[in-house]
Amino acid sequence: MKQHLDLYLTLLKTSIISQFQYRVAHLFWLLAMMVEPVVYLVVWGTIATSQGGSVAGYTAGTFAAYYITWTLVRQMNIALTPYAFENRIRKGRLSNELMRPIHPIHFDMSYFMSLKVVTIVLWLPIAGLLWWVFQPIFTFTAWWQIPAFILALLGGFVTRFLCLWALGLVTFWVTKVSAVFELYFTIELLLSGRLVPLAIMPAWVRDISQWLPFQWTFGFPIDVAVGTLTGPQVAWGLAMQAVWMLIAGGILALVWPHAVRRYSAVGA
Amino acid sequence: MVYVRLFWIFLRVSVISEFQYRVNFFVQLFQSALALGTGLVAMSLVFSYTQNLAGWTQPELLAVMGVHIIVGGLIKTIIQPNMNRLIEDIQEGTLDFALTKPADAQAIISVREFRIWQLIDLVLGSVVLGYAISQLSTSLGWLSALAFAAAVLLGGLMIYSVWLMLSVGAFWIIRADNFLEIFDSLYQAGRWPVSIYPGWLKHTLTFVLPIAFAVTLPAETLARQLNGQNLLFAVGLTILLLVVSRLFWRFGLRHYTGASA
Amino acid sequence: MSQTIKVDTLIKTFQVPEREAGLKAAVGSLFKRKYREVEAVKKISFGIDAGEIVGFLGPNGAGKTTTLKMLAGLLFPTSGQIDVLGYEPQRREKELLRQITIVMGQRNQLMWDIPALDSFELQRAIYQIPEGEFRRMRDELIDLLSMGDLVKKPVRNLSLGERMKAEFISALLHRPKVLFLDEPTIGLDVTAQRLIREFVAAYNQRYQASVMLTSHYMADVQALCKRVIVIHHGQLLYDGGLAGLVEKFAAYKTIGVTLNDPDLDLSEYGEIISNSKGQVNLRVPKNATAQITTRLLNEVAISDLTIEDPAIDSIIEQVFQQEAQVV
Repeated sequence: MKQHLDLYLTLLKTSIISQFQYRVAHLFWLLAMMVEPVVYLVVWGTIATSQGGSVAGYTAGTFAAYYITWTLVRQMNIALTPYAFENRIRKGRLSNELMRPIHPIHFDMSYFMSLKVVTIVLWLPIAGLLWWVFQPIFTFTAWWQIPAFILALLGGFVTRFLCLWALGLVTFWVTKVSAVFELYFTIELLLSGRLVPLAIMPAWVRDISQWLPFQWTFGFPIDVAVGTLTGPQVAWGLAMQAVWMLIAGGILALVWPHAVRRYSAVGA
Repeated sequence: MVYVRLFWIFLRVSVISEFQYRVNFFVQLFQSALALGTGLVAMSLVFSYTQNLAGWTQPELLAVMGVHIIVGGLIKTIIQPNMNRLIEDIQEGTLDFALTKPADAQAIISVREFRIWQLIDLVLGSVVLGYAISQLSTSLGWLSALAFAAAVLLGGLMIYSVWLMLSVGAFWIIRADNFLEIFDSLYQAGRWPVSIYPGWLKHTLTFVLPIAFAVTLPAETLARQLNGQNLLFAVGLTILLLVVSRLFWRFGLRHYTGASA
Repeated sequence: MSQTIKVDTLIKTFQVPEREAGLKAAVGSLFKRKYREVEAVKKISFGIDAGEIVGFLGPNGAGKTTTLKMLAGLLFPTSGQIDVLGYEPQRREKELLRQITIVMGQRNQLMWDIPALDSFELQRAIYQIPEGEFRRMRDELIDLLSMGDLVKKPVRNLSLGERMKAEFISALLHRPKVLFLDEPTIGLDVTAQRLIREFVAAYNQRYQASVMLTSHYMADVQALCKRVIVIHHGQLLYDGGLAGLVEKFAAYKTIGVTLNDPDLDLSEYGEIISNSKGQVNLRVPKNATAQITTRLLNEVAISDLTIEDPAIDSIIEQVFQQEAQVV
């Protein structure tokens, strides 16, 4: 445990140093990523106003709260894309990583954590601007909302990270994987609460997404922040995150040795 | 005439080389279908709650979406690949090869690449647009069809000019690819009519990156009515942008030769 | 002396998809692929002692990198035994990984955007090197390679040679007992090559580490390796001293003579490689060297005579060409 802590702190330090050198690039990237939620927000805000103030319980103000929190969750959610595995294998980076006495997942984890430190600093002023333009309305009912949100945010990242890492392992067996990944991302877009709050979706979609990991990594943390969930609902969501972490982590632990075996049979 | 031949030759080479990767056709088809599906889902969600969005009816919005896909396909077929290649060449110093050819350099760098599989979007977008028009009560005359084609062409030229100027930025800024990231995501905003956005975004989409002219205006021409004044304005703006981007390209080129000499 | 690496009848076969031309075949291959087996390494056996530097030679595609990767645990052998420091490398146990290292000339492991010094720190955390030992080793290596303050510059601003030196420091911080060096001097200028060579020799001396080196530069091999292993088409051709390699494979020797009469024609004694103003170099079959030398001394007026082995590069080249003809 102490060894891993030392490793993470050092990894974080080194990758924060290198990430900060690209802060301008990160800022542009961050700005580019703001367009998507702003479009959703404008469309749904317009509808809410035209429908006499609210749609499925959301007013223009709560939509603003939803999509502004969205921008933070989206940033915190960024994890290794499954495409990265192809690069790793093709450019031989995996060989370097396998020579080290440490599981490669730790390098990714710390890299993405460092990325978040950098982007959150850049995100704050942008969020302030969005706040000023769109006037969000958050419902603050209890003190635990804040720690619960932070927990849900971190849980969402770890869950998504593990799911995508597990999905990326497909690359070891199949060469043309982009179709699989695209399908996954499309389903995620629709069922996670990224396109619209799940409350907007038809009831049967909500029922399905209950049993899938997507909404727990995206819509759930947002709902906690916006204040639309009760205490038991929050507890349930955190439990679902834990369940999916266990499932994805279990698949990873099970499949990874086979993936390495496969890699070392074929070579790079 | 020389340039038409040049374009034809580059096109032929691209087609031949892309035909070697036929699997990419299916991958592209799948991805385009997914994107179209997502767009349709979003639209049906909107219209399950309302009859019109800021005055736009469902068929009208569908027409906007169709044009958005068509113009997006054109961008990804020819504008984006050439501009990406240009930036790459500037970054790696390989632009010299294009500059030492005995033809206009801007013409060469603009037509070197051609991604034919991206034309799938042209087909899908046309299907969506055709369906949308069939749902509209207005009848389609020759005049508006012609105006539509003109509007798409003008929009394409405007986007090309703006993108060229952004790419030329690579002569000074190493990581110019980031501008393009922004362009890409702003283009996604064009899926909806530009008029629904708040003022600052609307003006950005009209005058900074002319998505209003490239997508909304052609769709309006077909689905609503021909607005001669807007079309005339588009002609003027296109000429202006073409001239400015040409000047900017030559200015950048001077900088490039200066730096590498 | 104890053996650190033991390899016994090592075999590696790859399955390579067969490609046929034509659309029909291309569509068919989407569903059912034909495979062909390629033997990259065929029954290789050898052992390497602690403190030994062994040159691993062979042309491109001979199976060098494949063997090296199997020794490093990156490739699974098809059959045969490998033992590195008492471990099977393909099991990739952490205890083994902490004692070996691989340096590849064409790949960098250092982080591009930060000073090498910070990457070293990362290496410390990865290999869990105790703080004091880490500092001592780091400073010693920086000193040995005379890197000085260069380690404080971002890696991307270093020259190729400086970068390679930094790579070496990073790869040796955990004081590995076994080093796999794959073309470590490729693309470097002569000075940097010499520095790296001297450094490898010094490290090997100081820590009695085993080194396996592949290189296209014979100068590297001549400077560092007393022993060489030659493989070709996956088979072991030679394992022994560098001098013995010359002895075994050099089919020719070069006789250099200085003639009193510069116009004399010597072509009846051997193949004339060069002739300038009476300085003649003759290529003669090795086993006939003594006989031709005697004849020359007896029959021709000569002021000087030397007998030389051909350069090691040309021997190696010759070996590979011969083999290619046989197979």
